[in-house]
Amino acid sequence: MTTVDQTMNDAEFAAASAKAEELSLFFREIGPKYDIENTFAYPSIDAFKKSGLGSLVVPKQYGGQGGNILHCSKVISELSKGDSAITLAYNMHFIMCGIMMGLMSEAQNKHWLGRVSDGEIMFGPFSEARAGFSGLADMKAVPQAGGGWKIYGVKTWGTLSEASTIITTNATVTDADGNIPEGYEERVSAEMLFIADFDVDADGQGDGVRIEKTWNALGMHATGTQMIHFDGFFVPEDGLVCEWRGGAFGVLEWASLNFASIYLGMQYRVFEEVRAVLAKKTLGATFGAIAANETKVSGIGHIVDGVGDMAARVELSRRVVYRTCQELIDGEDDEWPVELRFPYIGLAKTFVAENVMYMTRKSMSLVGGQSFRKGAIFERLYRDSAASMFQPLNSDQSCTYIGEYFLAPEELED
Amino acid sequence: MSTFKDADEVYALIGKALEACVTEETFINATKDGTLVVLITQTDPVATILVDFPGQKVLCGDAAAGASSTVQLKMSSDNANKFWQGKLNFTLAMAQRKVKLEGKRSTALALLPLTGPIFDKYKAILGEAGRRDLLVD
Repeated sequence: MTTVDQTMNDAEFAAASAKAEELSLFFREIGPKYDIENTFAYPSIDAFKKSGLGSLVVPKQYGGQGGNILHCSKVISELSKGDSAITLAYNMHFIMCGIMMGLMSEAQNKHWLGRVSDGEIMFGPFSEARAGFSGLADMKAVPQAGGGWKIYGVKTWGTLSEASTIITTNATVTDADGNIPEGYEERVSAEMLFIADFDVDADGQGDGVRIEKTWNALGMHATGTQMIHFDGFFVPEDGLVCEWRGGAFGVLEWASLNFASIYLGMQYRVFEEVRAVLAKKTLGATFGAIAANETKVSGIGHIVDGVGDMAARVELSRRVVYRTCQELIDGEDDEWPVELRFPYIGLAKTFVAENVMYMTRKSMSLVGGQSFRKGAIFERLYRDSAASMFQPLNSDQSCTYIGEYFLAPEELED
Repeated sequence: MSTFKDADEVYALIGKALEACVTEETFINATKDGTLVVLITQTDPVATILVDFPGQKVLCGDAAAGASSTVQLKMSSDNANKFWQGKLNFTLAMAQRKVKLEGKRSTALALLPLTGPIFDKYKAILGEAGRRDLLVD
């Protein structure tokens, strides 16, 4: 019997990186059109599938490439360097693959990840209007007499829905009459994670489920983050994965660090664009803070400092994100207080988010007024970077988790 | 007021269930090559139980308190009673500080999905001991 080395090796990762570089260039090429048109970048679907990167993190025993979270982070940041909005859409696929493979049974992994290895794309709308990701699901899963559940409710952040054929989501299992458990503890325990086929037509209409194209935001236009309406969407018994909150606890790094990788890639792009402009820009004859017959921007002190500062921020972010990934791979998170695992992982994302927002603002200041015009890459990066404030964990949430831990009394709450 | 009379009753009931746990095949397979030794410190009544998974043994009282462990779990004896009947949401209990988990816990958390068969065993032990009043609805 031939044994399979389950982890992606260096040669395999080099091949995946080459695919990512190729796909990144394509995203870069089509990105501006879909930013202007404010729609999902439909041509990206075939390109993404053709790249084979969809199975990057799927274990080899299920037909995937066996990439770990560091491999994933590097691929996402490379793609994001090309176009962060389009990559943010496919980031949803990588997030859900990472989360689901840690929670599904062997049979479920074999079936669903096998389909991903065959080229299918999955997404996962979880947030609802009332309280986002942290809110317990108001969406109901009503048990059916013949087995399985019918799902009723609305999810607000259905990123990548227009490219996906597999859906994952959370809903609260009710009684037969559709009543959510009244007790808090019972309600937490009744919130479940499901996986199912997502079969909708070209207009986004399916059996008991539909896409409502509502996405219209300051930035990240090409993500296709639509609302998903469930109105009796049937999930068979084998679509139940696990209790959601307990399960998510150990796998949310796939969300947090993948989001961090998006904004790390954006930092790469900001720096690349700033450098390209400022290295050759001249102001000609000036009479202001600098009085000279020929003023080269690359010789102005605050520009030099600004570019150096940006380069330092990019390098620090790269180290923070990739090192955090490596610490998880090495199991070093086992040494952290359990309450701090998620916020400590989240620090990478909040660090990168603060830096990318600083960089997109600073880049406009350094480049000058031309960066503010519609169509300029800096104007777009400035808008897109603002999205980094929102994905979990944001900096306020991280600090709250951490502060609560350090201020909590030693004794148990009982 | 605790539902347990004293520490000896905790050992006779929960300790006995944990002895069944360490010799359960699924737990043996999941822990045989590891270092998972869990020290459970309970309050009200105070009780200490050491669960040595690789060694397939359970120690109680002073013998447990003096042994080394890789994971430390603290909870009240009432919550332990609920937990071993499958009636305590462990993640929620951690978030609400009803349970405190320290040490190398990834293996311990990975065992949570395997605990189902132990619940029935514990409930049977309660019945055999004439402590059906400890059963949680």
